[in-house]
Formats: sequence, C-alpha cells, structure tokens
Amino acid sequence: MKIAGQKESKIDPTLAEEIRQRCGENVFLCYQCKKCASGCPTRPFMESTPTELMRYLQLGMIDEAMKKDTIWYCLSCQTCSARCPQNIDIAHVVDAVKIIVQEKNIKVDTGNAKLFNRLWMTLLKYMGRMYEMGLTGMLNLFSGKPFKDLPLGIKLIKKGKLKLLPTIKRPFEMMKMFSRARDLKK
Amino acid sequence: MKLSYYPGCSLHSTGAEYDASTRKVCEKLGIELVEIEDWVCCGSTPAHQCDELMSIALPAKNMALAREQSGLGEICAPCASCYSRLKFAQERLTDDHLRRQVEHVIDARYPDDIKVLHMLEVISEKVGADAVKEKVVKTLDSIKVACYYGCLITRPPKVTAREDFENPTDMEALIEALGAETVDWNMKTFCCGAAFALTRTEVVVDLTGKILADAHAVGADVIAVGCPLCHVNLDTRQQQINEKLGTNFNIPIFYFTQLMGLAMGIGPKDLGIHKHITEAESFLKERALI
Repeated sequence: MKIAGQKESKIDPTLAEEIRQRCGENVFLCYQCKKCASGCPTRPFMESTPTELMRYLQLGMIDEAMKKDTIWYCLSCQTCSARCPQNIDIAHVVDAVKIIVQEKNIKVDTGNAKLFNRLWMTLLKYMGRMYEMGLTGMLNLFSGKPFKDLPLGIKLIKKGKLKLLPTIKRPFEMMKMFSRARDLKK
Repeated sequence: MKLSYYPGCSLHSTGAEYDASTRKVCEKLGIELVEIEDWVCCGSTPAHQCDELMSIALPAKNMALAREQSGLGEICAPCASCYSRLKFAQERLTDDHLRRQVEHVIDARYPDDIKVLHMLEVISEKVGADAVKEKVVKTLDSIKVACYYGCLITRPPKVTAREDFENPTDMEALIEALGAETVDWNMKTFCCGAAFALTRTEVVVDLTGKILADAHAVGADVIAVGCPLCHVNLDTRQQQINEKLGTNFNIPIFYFTQLMGLAMGIGPKDLGIHKHITEAESFLKERALI
C-alpha cells in the first residue's frame, strides 16, 4: 500500500485482530477525533501521535506501529483511555503493541524500557519485592551510564530512603508463579 | 474500623514517610491497619507492559493473601500504582477464562468481593472531612496548598469508578478541613512522568517542570500528593529543573497524610518530614507550624 508522501508500507491484515485477541480492544472503533493525541503529556516527544498509532493498527501498517518510538514514550497515565469517546482503552492497546515488540524482539529504541522491564521482572521473580538499589544500579550499568543520578542516590541513602540490602519475600512461591504463567502462555 | 493494609514496595523505601504518616494518622482516627503478611510487589508498570498475565496474577495473589490471613473485606493501598493495579486486576478478572488462568498461576482462589480503597478514599469516604476537622489541634491557615492527584488515583474511570476524574476535589475538601487554603490550578491530574524517572529522566524534568510552574503561578506554597512516585519526581528533581529552565523553584512536596498529621499535632519526625530532598522543615518553621 502507498500513502501520499510516503514510501511503500508493509501491510499485515491480521494486526488489528492480534491486538483484539491480546487486549480485547477493537481498534476499528477509532474515528480519529484526536482527543487522545491532544491530551497526551508526552506527545511532543513522540515520532507519531497515539491517534496515528490507532490508524496504523487499523490499516495493518506494522512497521509504523511497531518501529516508531511512539509507544515507548507512553507513560500509561491513562488520559487517552479516560477521554476516548469510543471507550477504547488506548493505553491497553499500547501495552499490547509493547508486548508484541518485546516478544518478537523487534529492533527499536525503547529508551531502555525493555531492559528496565526485564530487570524489574527478574528481581521480582526471585525476591518478591522491588529492590530499588539493585534495579537502579543494574539499569545504569547495563545502559552504559553507571554514574547517572549518583549524587541523588547518595542523598536518598543518607535519608534512609534507599535500602542497601534487598527484602526477600516468598521467593519459591514467586518462582513457581512465574513458571506456571510461562507454561500457560506456551 | 479495621482494614487490610497493602503498603507496596515504595512505601518501604522511597516513600517511607508516606507509610509512617499514614500509620500515625490512621491511629489518630481510630483506623486499624492490618498489613498483609509477606505481601509481594504488584508488578507496577513494568508488569503490565511486558507480561499481561503476571500483571493480573500479582495483584490477585495479594488479594488472596489478604483474604486468607485476615478475612477482612477491604484493602487500603496508599500507593496510586498499587491501588491502580489492584483495581485493574479486579476489572479484568470479571472474565472467567482469565480468572481460571490466574487462579492456576497463584494456586489459590481469587476473592472477588474485596473492596480496594486508596488512602484518600479511606479518609474522604469512610472518615469524612468533618470528622478530620474535629481532630485538628493546629490549624494550617498559614499555607496555600496545591492538591495534586496525578494519574492513577482518578484514572481511568472504568477502573476507579470516578465521575470527577478530570477535576477531582476530595483532597481539597480534606486539606481545607485542616484550615489550609487550597488553590485552583490546571495541573492537578497531569502526569509527573511516573516510571520514566530512571529511564527517560528528561521527560520527568519536562513534565514536573510544568507542574511546578503552574503551582508557582497560582501562588501555592506547597504541593500535596497521594502517590510515592509523584512525590519522588516532584521532590527530587527541582534542582535539575532549575538548572534546565533557569527557574528558582523550591516548593516543598508533602504527602496529604503528612499535612493531616501536622494539623493533628503529630511530631514532624514521626511524619518523616526530614526525609524530603526539597527542604520542608525550615519552611514549616518559617510558617510556625513546627
């Protein structure tokens, strides 16, 4: 398919159906009123708007939907979902697209969100609770900015707001939960 | 009144003063909080953007624990993100197929009759501003407060069941009951940048900069919040914002429970006021509140 002023786009006609199966939302209900884009706090940072994302999904324009950084600037603030006149849970649609991108390992700049998510879920799986020090340390290390926010981190430790050691709760139950969930998804 | 209490990870670390002030205020109001023993993380934002099933199973696990341990019908979650994840799970678990999957994952029955309340709802719906007013021993009439709700206390309405999600006013009613003046402003439900604090910090600086600028423009002395992530973002980034925008913001950020505690005569140490990054103690001394 060719869109005016753009090069040829790859079309996947099953995309909208995949979104519906993953999150239950029907993207064809969107009539492009732009309310989501107007209220989106991070729209100025995005390559395309949430409204455009909905159109890409309707048309099956898989590269535009998956490879632009739009979804990775979504904060899940729920403003779009709260305001959509068609009651589409747009933030849930964005989550579904994010999950597809991560599962299929599609190359795109996620702003370290993919790394952040993976670290978070791994810590959770073995510890049951979030270990902020470990999360921040590993995130900074793996993203090549080991000293990011270091002065702030030191202040927070001095104020007793960051614990040096993790709290571990129900690790075996958590590992079993994660493994049962993985089996179900197969 | 007795409620299950789900503090969440933040209230045991960066939001420690929210936990302390919540417990103290509840004690004064005769609310007994029964912490869920060995609760686990709700999964927060990372879970729902990378693992749909676990993002529902983790909150369900905590609700099952609450029911098993205490049998209480209500859970108080002061963290906006925990509150939202618990409420989202309840909404999604009306689907029988998903409920069966989740019950298999958590290896327990999911209790579908639990009421989840944010701390703000506990105070405004179950206690009421009038009852709070009766407990005030030190009126906060020397400060002007901008009440900041952020995102997840009020949105999305299909989950929070709130009609006033664009312009909530329950925190204002509560703060006014403490004798303080509240301001009318634009950014009370605008996002602070939330989980981008660690990954896209420049977005947090931009968004919190807008929130602080609006609060400053309407003459607010302080901002009151009800979410540990909002607090971290607004409290810890002011220096960076000032450097970037050439501003001079120095606006103390309080949890609404800390302001309640101050008005009820609880000591500032017990409320964790000294834990803030943006200086709050000297401000309170200046206004003769401590």
